[in-house]
This record gives sequence, structure tokens and C-alpha cells, in this order.
Amino acid sequence: MKLSLTGSNLSLIDAVGVRHDNLRPVRLFPLTEPRHWISLVDEKGHEAACIDDLDALDPEQRAIVEAALARRDFVPVVKRITAIKRATEGHDWHVETDRGPTVFRIETDESIQSLGGTRLVIFDKAGTRYLIPDVAALDHDSRRKLERYF
Amino acid sequence: MLQHAESRLEAGERIADRLSTDLDWNLHFHAGLIVLTSQRLLHVEDGHFHEWKLATVDELVLEELGPTTALHLMQDGKAVWHWRITAGHLREVESFISRFKEQRGMAEVGSEGAEEDDEELFSPEIGSTEPKFAGRPLLRLITFSRPWLGLMLVGLGLTVASTGASLLGPWLTMSLVDDVLIPLQSATHEINVQKVYQFVGGLLGAAVLTWMLQWATTYVVARLAERVTSRMRRATFEHLQTLSLGYFNKKRTGDLISRIGNDTDDISLFISVNFIDFACDLLTIIFTAGVMFTINPVLALAALGPLPVVAWLVQWVRVRLRGGFAAASRAWSAMNSVLTDTIPGVRVVKAFAQEKREIERFRQHDQQIFDTNDRVNRTWSFFEPTIAFLTEFGLLVVWSVGAWAVAHEHTTVGVLTGFVLYVTKFYSRLDAMSRFVASAQRAAASAHRVFEILDVKPDMPVNKDTRKVGRLRGEIEFKDVRFRHGTRQIIRGLNLKITPGEMIGLVGPSGAGKTTLINLVCRFFDVSEGAILVDGHDLREIDVMDYRRNLGLVLQEPYLFFGTIADNIAYGKPGATQAEIIAAAKAARAHEFILKLADGYDSMVGERGQQLSGGERQRISIARALLVNPAILILDEATSSVDTETEREIQAALDHLVKGRTTIAIAHRLGTLRKANRLVVLENGVISETGTHDSLMKHSGTYARLHAAMVEVNHA
Repeated sequence: MKLSLTGSNLSLIDAVGVRHDNLRPVRLFPLTEPRHWISLVDEKGHEAACIDDLDALDPEQRAIVEAALARRDFVPVVKRITAIKRATEGHDWHVETDRGPTVFRIETDESIQSLGGTRLVIFDKAGTRYLIPDVAALDHDSRRKLERYF
Repeated sequence: MLQHAESRLEAGERIADRLSTDLDWNLHFHAGLIVLTSQRLLHVEDGHFHEWKLATVDELVLEELGPTTALHLMQDGKAVWHWRITAGHLREVESFISRFKEQRGMAEVGSEGAEEDDEELFSPEIGSTEPKFAGRPLLRLITFSRPWLGLMLVGLGLTVASTGASLLGPWLTMSLVDDVLIPLQSATHEINVQKVYQFVGGLLGAAVLTWMLQWATTYVVARLAERVTSRMRRATFEHLQTLSLGYFNKKRTGDLISRIGNDTDDISLFISVNFIDFACDLLTIIFTAGVMFTINPVLALAALGPLPVVAWLVQWVRVRLRGGFAAASRAWSAMNSVLTDTIPGVRVVKAFAQEKREIERFRQHDQQIFDTNDRVNRTWSFFEPTIAFLTEFGLLVVWSVGAWAVAHEHTTVGVLTGFVLYVTKFYSRLDAMSRFVASAQRAAASAHRVFEILDVKPDMPVNKDTRKVGRLRGEIEFKDVRFRHGTRQIIRGLNLKITPGEMIGLVGPSGAGKTTLINLVCRFFDVSEGAILVDGHDLREIDVMDYRRNLGLVLQEPYLFFGTIADNIAYGKPGATQAEIIAAAKAARAHEFILKLADGYDSMVGERGQQLSGGERQRISIARALLVNPAILILDEATSSVDTETEREIQAALDHLVKGRTTIAIAHRLGTLRKANRLVVLENGVISETGTHDSLMKHSGTYARLHAAMVEVNHA
């Protein structure tokens, strides 16, 4: 199995020597196991191969997958909640993430979901997902604010 | 009646069986007894006595007549006697008839009759039910608090202490008035300023002590209450899980939710707030009464004058409220039922444009809540002001009697002041106690509803010495299986042997008993007669949990729990690795559509997997069954047709699933029908045809007809 990335084309030569072009890496467990189970999907939606452990790849191949993943990866990690303000529909969350400060709106309580333990994922109105990997690791003020909604 | 029958027995005659009848020929309730002996059949009723020699009787014929059954005694080809029995006792009647056949056979060959253990014959008669736990629901709550006996005692001790502390104030006031204020006013003595500080300091100390003790009491008791109700909720849910499907079919979901949710909450509130208040009140009342009597019995008697009126009022209100609260709880349940019915069924409601009707239905139930609460409030609104009025009246009596006593120097101003304080306390407590009456009634009604669930005996008798079977090969044998639901006989004598790995397609018109048969194999219900053997073990003799680990179930309407797709696939095997989950999903042809979801296997599926299509949900449930790698697979195919592409995907998934497993499928798909090793056609609870698809088609019987109809529908 050999991966290569030229421009935006991720291609793979599989175990039997067949070449697959224009692949898209898809995390099967993006929230619980982001570094495992990465499926390489072709344009028709069929799986060409599946990488069960990113860290088991050799560094060069890993870098290729990571680069391809980074192109479509967008799950900001919430570092701090500055404010949660009531809006006409739902609430506006003012947060600081690993990708900088932002404001997003969530509509119902169901938009905040537990992923088991203290991991939370928040879906905003537009469908973007924000991750809180560990609620207990948030600062006291943020936890107090979060407590009112989850 | 039994003694009466026994007295008629001849020497050497033994009772072989007996049957209590509960109706007369005109279907009025009437107790009778039929006794089968080694030689005769005896009938006892109101001291009347009939007998038939077994040798002269042809047979006993059973006739099922809906809610009742008739038993005919045939002699020389004619019915010479009839009995009627309610259908609930059908089993006993049937066993009596078979016993009769044995005895009659033996009577003919002249044998003495079988040795029977008398134990069974003297089992309870018809009509006697098991005594139910009759304990008062509130007292029964104590059994739930047993693990926290220590905490309970601490709470009780704190209550006594804080109540005692709160009574120090008036006592100190009494001395303050008599020893300091009055002398100060009349200026007859030297004033000791030190004393004023002492009294005020003492009053402050008493207040602080009361405050701290009450704080501790409230905390301890609230904690206890939470523990008790949490235990109750868990016990109720655990108990619910042990109950059979039959119970859930009968119950309204909303009602059960309301019992576990609202009713336990009422109980918690009662224990944490009202009960502690009540204990305080009671103690205060006893203490104050005691104190008042030791200080001045005449004044005390005057102050407590209105007490009997209050006691009567409390009793009157108690009776009226009890019914009111029970009705309110029921009304809440009814409303919850409407909600649990309408909200999941919202698509149907909207599709048929029946919003108005549902609103009306809800309004009616809400009105019922309003009405019951209104009824309670009416009683209530009269009660509280009346108690307040009586308090005022009591004070009035104390003031007037006190004024007289002071004037005639029977008592001092200080004592009178103390008295007024005590009386105020006394009556305010009485007022609070009256409120307790209401909450106690509410809690009693709630506790009763919760215990009602806990008292339901699991209707499937749990056999204590069940065998663990481990991994099964998957051989299933039905031996003359009969199943009756209520008075309806659904399976009537079914014989079938399925070899390991064989795939059986169940076919038949709706109502033929296909689903019932599957429920029996899953042991959701027990067979009424006959037996189901798996790998040669009677299903009733093996451990249910252990057995079900060998089962895979794919239902018509796959149920997905709220959680991720991965959780749903791994439902039957919580420790499954991600590799296993993915493998199962791939085999079930679910992998590729899961890939397309934003969160892949981490995607949340709603209460009923709303975001997924029917075919997708179907495939997830197939993956779920695959993951547990069952020896026996139960498949209830959806009747609804899906598009050909989905159909093909599902078919491919199923092919994977059935490979190497004993499969019983309620088949609707032509693909499944052709693939089955054997098709079993059920009609009216019996097998009418068996064979492969091809052989049955040639036979041109029921199956050929059903098949033609199916093809017609599929091409329409």
C-alpha cells in the first residue's frame, strides 16, 4: 500500500497494485478516535482502503494522510467560554478555541451531546461541530457557564 | 365441599383429581366441585351430589365459548351433564380432562388407579388469590430507608435537639419580664444591669443554637430523602426490566414514566421537607403543651381549648384530600400517556391533519388535572384560614383568661408573656401540621402507585435450578406446542424440528401465529403446553440470559437507541472493539452509508434513528445481530417494499447474516423465500404445508396462493 499526494489528488496504489485516484480521507470515529480508523474513499463513495492506526504508518506516509485530513478538518476545540448570551432563538456562545475566538449560535439543548465521560460535542446552527475534550479541564468560570446548559 | 365429597368415598377409592367450577349453567357465579376418583366422577354443589361410574362415561368434551368454557359429560353418545367455568381456568380444565382419560383407561382395565401425590390436589381452589402486601404505603417507605438507619437516627436526634432549642426563647423571656422588666418599671428594687445582658445574651444563644441545629437537620434529612427515593427509582426500574413483554404490552408507557418520575419526586419532597417539619411540629406541640401545663394548668387548659375542633377538622380534610390526590396522580398519568402517544406519532397526526383532535384530547386531560386540583384547592382554601382563625381565637382566650389571672394575682405578667409566645408557637405549628396532612396524602397516593409496580410478580416463573447452556449448536424442536393468550388459542399443536444451520421461512396469512412463534422461541412468553427444545434442552429449564446470548434478533421496525451508531451496533456486545464494529457494519452493507455521515460511526442517531432511512436502520440492526454472532437468528422481515437498490443491499447483508446459523425468518421477500431450506406455512396456529419453494409451488396449495398475491403486489 503506497500513498502519494500531488496537489489535491491523494492517490493510492493498493496491495494488488491497483491505482486509486482522487481519494478522500474520512475519519470513521472523528470524535472518539481521531487518529485511528481513517478510511480512504473514492469519488463514488467506495472505500479503497482503511488505515486502522495513523501512528503505525511510516512518517512520510503519515504526513501525507495528515495533510489530506487537515484540508477538510474543522472541529474547533473549545478552550474557554467567555459568555453565553440569550438570543431570539437559542443562545449565542462566545468562546475561545484552538482556532481563535469565535461566536456561534446553538438552538436547543440537544445541540450539546455527551460523548461518554466528560467529552462534549456542540453542534451549532450551521452544523459546525465544536469539541470540549474534557469538561473538567475547563477553567472554573467556563464550567459554571456550561453547567447551566449541560 | 371437598370434605363432603371425601365423605362419599368408598373403601379403596382414591381421589385422582379435582376441579373447582365457578359458574352455574345460567352463567351466574356459583361454586361447585368435580372430583375424579379411581372409580367415579363426583359432582358436589350446594350439598347436592351427583355421581357417574367412570366405566359408563364415554368422555368429557371441552367447548371453548369465548370468556367461558363448557364441559360436557358424554354418556352413550349424548351429553348428560354440563358444567361452565370461566376461561381463566382453561388450563386446569384441560389437565382435568387428561387426568380423566387416564383414570377412565385404568378403570376399564380394572386397575386401582394411579398413585398421586396429594399435595398438588389440595392446591388453592378457584377464586382464592394470593394475599397482597397490605402494608400502608407510607410505612413501607421505611423499608426502603433501612440501609441508612444511622443517618435516620442522626436526623431524628437533630430534630429533637433543634425543637428543644427553639423552646428556650420563650422560657428566657418569661424570666426577663418578671425579674428585669417589671422591677425596672415599678422601680422597687435595685436594677441589676448585668442580668439584662445575661438574658439578652441567653436569647441570642438560643437563637443561634436553633439556627445551627435546624440547618444540620434539614441537610441530613434531605440527603436521606434523596437516597431513599433514588433507591426507589432504581428498584422500580430494575423490577420493570424483569417483567415480561406481556406486562409492557398491557401498560401505557406514559403512566410508567410518570410513576417512576413524578411519583417518586413527590415522595422525596414529602420525606425531606414535610416529614421533618411534621416531626418538629409534633415535638413542639408536645413540648409546649408540657411546659404550659407545668407553669400554669388553668391558663394551659384555656389555651388548648380549640384543640379538639382542630383535630376534627384535620381528620375531615384528610379523608377529602386522599381521594383528591389519588385522582390528581391518575390525571397526570393520563396526560403523560397522551404526550407519549402523540409526540412520537406526530407524523401520523400531521399526515391525517388531526392536530385539532389531538389538541382537544390534550385539553380534555388537562381539564381533568385542573378539575382534580381545583377540588383539592376548594377543601384547602377553607381549611387553612380556619386554622388561622382558631389560632387567633386561642390567643384571645389566653389574653382574657390571663388578664383575669393577673388581676387576681394568680399569675405574673412575665408568665403571661411567655404563654402568649408559647401559644403562638403551638398554633402556628398546628397550622403547619395541617399542611402536612395534604402532603402525606399526596405521598401516600404516590407511594401506592410506585409499590403497585414493585408488587407485580414476574409472570414468567423463574426456574431456580436452570442450566447454563453456553454456546448452542442451534437445533430447535417444537413438540406439540400450544400457546394461549388470554382466551385465544394462537398456536394449536405445532410439531417441527429444525436442524442446526437450517433456514426456515415462516409464511402464512396475518394472525396465523408467526410472530407468536418467534416470541416463543425468544422465550418472551412460555408455551402453554408442549415444549420447545433447543439442542435437546427444554427452554424452560435453561437460563434465559444465557440462552438469549445465543440469539440474534432483527425486527421489522429496527429500534435504535439514542446514542452513536457505534454504540447501537455494539448494543449486544458492549465491549466490542472498533475493528469488530466496522467488520460487522461492512458485512451488513452499512459501512458505506456510515462513511458518508459527518461523524461517521460517532454520529448520533435520534430517539428512533430519525435521521436514517428505513433501509439504513435495517442494516444497522443487521450489523447489531451479526456482531453477537448468534447461533440462532430470528428475522422478522419488513413487509414494506423498498427500492431495488436498497433491497439488493439488504439481501446481501442478510445472506451474510444467515450463513451457518439456524434461522427462523418471517419471510416477505421473494429472495428470502427462495433461499430458505424449508418453508413452513402456518394457518390458524397449525402447520398446513412444509417444503421448499419449488415443491410448494408445484403443490399449488396455500403457499402458491400467498406467493401469487405477493408477486402481484410487488409488480403493482
